Amino acid sequence: MPVPARGPDGSPGPAPAGPPAVAGDPTHLLLRTTYGLSRQLVEDVTATGPTAWLEQQLDPAGIPDAACDELVSRFRWLDASAAQVRAGVNVGSWDAMSELTQAALARACWSKRQLFEVMVDFWGNHLNVTCPSSEVWDVRAVDDRDVYRRHALGRFSDLLVASATSPSMLRYLNNDSSTKTAPNENYGRELLELHTVGVGAGYSETEVRHSALALTGLTVDDATGTFRYRSGWHHVGPLSVLGWSSANTSEDGGLEVATSYLRYLAAHPLTARRIAHKLAVRFVSDSPPTALVDRLAATYLAGDTQLKPVLRQLFASPEFAASAGQKTRRPVEDLTAVVRGLGIEVPLPKDGVVGMLHWMSYERGQPMLGWHPPNGFPDVAAAWQGAGTTVMMWRQQLSLAGSWWPKNLRHPGLASLLPDPRPTTNGGLVDALSQRLLNRTLPGDERAAVLGFLGPESSRPSDEIFDWQLPWLVALLFGTPSWSRR
Amino acid sequence: MTAPGTTLSSTAGDGDPCGCPGREFTRRTVLRGAGIAGLTGLLSSGLSTQLAFASGPTTGNDVLVVLSLRGGFDGLSAIAPIGDPGYAAARPTLAVPENRALKLDDTFGLHPSLAPLKPFWDAGTFGAVQAVGHPDRSRSHFAAMEELERAAPGTSLRTGWLDRVIGLAGNGSPLQAVTVGSGTSALALAGPAPDVAMRSLDDFSMDTDNLAHRKRLTALRAMHAGRPGAAGIALTALDRAAEVRSSTPAGTGYPTSGEGQELGSALRDLARIIKTPGSTLQAACVDFGDWDMHENLGTVDQGRMTRQLAGLGAALAAFATDLGPHHLSRVCLVTLSEFGRRVQQNGSAGTDHGSANTVLLLGGGVIGGKVHGVWPGLAPSALDRGDLANRTDYRDVLGELLRVRCGVPNLSSVFPGFQPNPIGVARP
Repeated sequence: MPVPARGPDGSPGPAPAGPPAVAGDPTHLLLRTTYGLSRQLVEDVTATGPTAWLEQQLDPAGIPDAACDELVSRFRWLDASAAQVRAGVNVGSWDAMSELTQAALARACWSKRQLFEVMVDFWGNHLNVTCPSSEVWDVRAVDDRDVYRRHALGRFSDLLVASATSPSMLRYLNNDSSTKTAPNENYGRELLELHTVGVGAGYSETEVRHSALALTGLTVDDATGTFRYRSGWHHVGPLSVLGWSSANTSEDGGLEVATSYLRYLAAHPLTARRIAHKLAVRFVSDSPPTALVDRLAATYLAGDTQLKPVLRQLFASPEFAASAGQKTRRPVEDLTAVVRGLGIEVPLPKDGVVGMLHWMSYERGQPMLGWHPPNGFPDVAAAWQGAGTTVMMWRQQLSLAGSWWPKNLRHPGLASLLPDPRPTTNGGLVDALSQRLLNRTLPGDERAAVLGFLGPESSRPSDEIFDWQLPWLVALLFGTPSWSRR
Repeated sequence: MTAPGTTLSSTAGDGDPCGCPGREFTRRTVLRGAGIAGLTGLLSSGLSTQLAFASGPTTGNDVLVVLSLRGGFDGLSAIAPIGDPGYAAARPTLAVPENRALKLDDTFGLHPSLAPLKPFWDAGTFGAVQAVGHPDRSRSHFAAMEELERAAPGTSLRTGWLDRVIGLAGNGSPLQAVTVGSGTSALALAGPAPDVAMRSLDDFSMDTDNLAHRKRLTALRAMHAGRPGAAGIALTALDRAAEVRSSTPAGTGYPTSGEGQELGSALRDLARIIKTPGSTLQAACVDFGDWDMHENLGTVDQGRMTRQLAGLGAALAAFATDLGPHHLSRVCLVTLSEFGRRVQQNGSAGTDHGSANTVLLLGGGVIGGKVHGVWPGLAPSALDRGDLANRTDYRDVLGELLRVRCGVPNLSSVFPGFQPNPIGVARP
């Protein structure tokens, strides 16, 4: 498998003066930077301290991840070129895309490079190319590898240029058929609206047209499924968009013109604010403080769109420390947190578990990589209030706790969540389970509701609890308001 | 690794090659399903949610069904202006041929893929409004959709218009407003008034057949009661959904394959809720996306548009048939889309984002058998920057139906700053 990229200049490390100290409680950092707590994770951060742990996570290539690497290596097409996919599957087959969606979920559950996977997902949503969608059947996995995974912790400017020359994006937003005589505005518009400066930037319809014209010629070679610059399709003549301009005098120079336009947009102050705001929504709160966004945007610009300095600053900020409990788990984050919290291990080959977990993400209304519009899954709690999703999550939490479906889960058994010797009171049992699953005790009202399931606080848990009711009890912990927050 | 994880996305595909060579693959990507809500943070609106449902004997309690044709519906293909000389001129390879359309009047013909709806047109329960638009002209899917569903331009309101309707006129039941076919509520329902989103009726249930199931449910009720958020509403709605399932069998006749399958399933569930004795349903949202056909739109005989319209026609006709005259008489279904397509076809045998559009109407509460609105024509001089000119605001259509059929007499807080003008779409 490809090793996650280091910085664009190859440098893995922290700034010479040492990274800023992570602010706040280590559990808070884990909840925000991972797909869910596990016993190992809590032990790791306790051993190293949060600042050093974050530095490790920011250098994913330095984190051994053999079990997940092995799991991912079972997929046939993740590492393949477009030509290999085309040669190996039927035309239009969804096999490679299906593998990618499953691999994404598997990595979220089992990779030790958790922050890296969170950021891959973040950019995959920011520069969304719905997977599966039929026009990217042969190139979507290439996109994942060469765009999001290569640049997830690098420089946004490089990420944007990689995306603009990715066959996947070019087909998804129709730039592959956009020519000087018949320009297609789809990509030129979304580049401004979604990928960079944002819809409020004040560009005109003429500038949208210029945006599309600047990108004419960036297309896909039909024979190979690789990027191709077709100079004969490139519009020639002066262009200007939001302060960028080019005389654009030759067909042969069109790729350079497009690249200069993309790099200009990446380093635009409005792009800086949008990226900073979006990162703050991901990691701090649904309505992040303006002062924090301003500081992150300034760091983004000062660092020539480098992302690691922005993340270091974010996790060291007082606003981050003050935001514990303010984010709500989205359906996929709940799913992965349940898998990780239960200690379910990397599946065995050919047992179908990853495919079934992916089906679960679909049923809860958040199919991994499957958001249809080009703007990516929403990242605020208000978007995920559906009663249907809530009910489906409750059903699945029980099914996973009981190890009933998916079949073949390598589930360590719920007794493994309990201390030895077992708690002797109902109150002790609730506290032990919440300590294990949430790394803290529940607030009083939630604890009381769980005790409603068990019986009086100081009584001995009934035999039925340990005999057969543990799945429902554990699922009830997953149903608490405290669990739903991260 | 195979099933069920391979049936990732519900519309067609499902791993099967479409059989077309090279670049002819259909796009199934854009603007479907999984909930458009949450494009922005949804702040509490401060609107009062008084329960003032004005019930009436025969009018005033219709169910308003909003079918969102996401991606930019091409009304010029559906209700084709075959009698307008500008049509064939602007769309040399994409126009519905005059001899293939089902003639509706001197100007318009129905796309042949919508033929299953023609009997309802003739019966007066299926109709259309042409040249309907809204103030947003960004041509951006997201900005336009958000504005369409917020329906409060020039204000800072962050609620959806249908949420405000339910806040004003809702009956307070958890099944007063539903989104069917998606676990996430439509943006039009975003806001404080309770509503339920369900992927399907059958999925919307919890087991209760042993003691532990029941104890867990009791504890969930205890910990979520009185809290904001989905869980409390979900718990009550579960009970109502169980009543629907036990009292009313699922209808038949819906498409079981093709582009209309998913829409058909959603409408089948919706009809089941409507048909349930004592139903409290007042408003419903269903999505049917994938209309963003920038390239290779096809012809009336093959291609994306004809397949997509066939799915729409089959599912809607099955819905109307399943409801039957009694229940159909108190339903008003309207289609909305963020924008129409540009009149002139583009260089990729598709159409780009346009402006004014067609609204389709279905139900006993609407006056069908007629193309409503004012037709501005497709002569180049009649176009608005290349688009069909906007002659009727979509809030005129919705406002009239809300006032006449749905018991919402005062629309000033539903559509702030806008005074809807009746155009004759609601059956008095």
